[in-house]
Amino acid sequence: MSQSTNPFTTATGKSPSCMEMLQLMLDGEVSSEQEAYFKAHMDQCMPCFKSHEVDMAIKQLVKDRCCGDGAPLELLQEIKHRMSQREK
Amino acid sequence: MVEEGARQNYSETEKQEIFDKEFLPNINAMYNFGYRLTLDRDDAKDLVQDTYFKAFRFIESFQKGTNAKAWLFRILKNSFINDYRKKRKEPNKVDYQEVESYYNSEDVNRQITPDLRVDALKDMIGDEISNALNSLDVDFRTVIILCDLEGFKYEEMAKILDIPIGTVRSRLHRARQLLKEKLSEYAKSMGYKNA
Repeated sequence: MSQSTNPFTTATGKSPSCMEMLQLMLDGEVSSEQEAYFKAHMDQCMPCFKSHEVDMAIKQLVKDRCCGDGAPLELLQEIKHRMSQREK
Repeated sequence: MVEEGARQNYSETEKQEIFDKEFLPNINAMYNFGYRLTLDRDDAKDLVQDTYFKAFRFIESFQKGTNAKAWLFRILKNSFINDYRKKRKEPNKVDYQEVESYYNSEDVNRQITPDLRVDALKDMIGDEISNALNSLDVDFRTVIILCDLEGFKYEEMAKILDIPIGTVRSRLHRARQLLKEKLSEYAKSMGYKNA
């Protein structure tokens, strides 16, 4: 990849690794210019393409499966009750 | 404990309104965060209650209409470290120096080849992912929850955790690697070869 046109290059001139670009992409911490650059880069970098696919799938799984069942109703009631006691 | 900002002068009615409309709607996310930190439902309840009372006590440090969720998460995380973890005398097991030096080293790119396949992940329909997440050290668990589950940006995570953004990134990277290793073990046990 051409370093001079890489929008991920830091102000200090440090070239980004694939891993760094992958992570920023995954977490939506990129500008539209960086996103376009990375998408074009993925077309030529199979490890990045595969990694991104797996990382996105894991991120989605965490989101879908780890959100729990919500707080127990009695917890909300207890907080509200103790708050109302405090006001008296 | 709570970030010092310009102190607000709220009336009792305003305080109650902030508490009810900005703080309480986050209770499900707070409870889940508490549970993922303590891995115990009763401890999570205590932690969340404690957080809400602290939030009310320090409500004048909170600016109405700003990011209440991040503010509450920060209080909860601090309560966990200061009250809960100290009581249990659980020392930090992770060598962060090592995590950061690794992240900034050249070796890190060798790790990007995935050792998992998407079809193996799609078959994980039970508690695999939740168990894998819970098996990570609490500090690694935390960054994944904040980022992937709650959708906080790096800057918000840095404020919640009181660490620099660079550390957020390196810790997140390491956490994901560990999670992948765990999931890879599950995939193998499910019969996926080269998973």
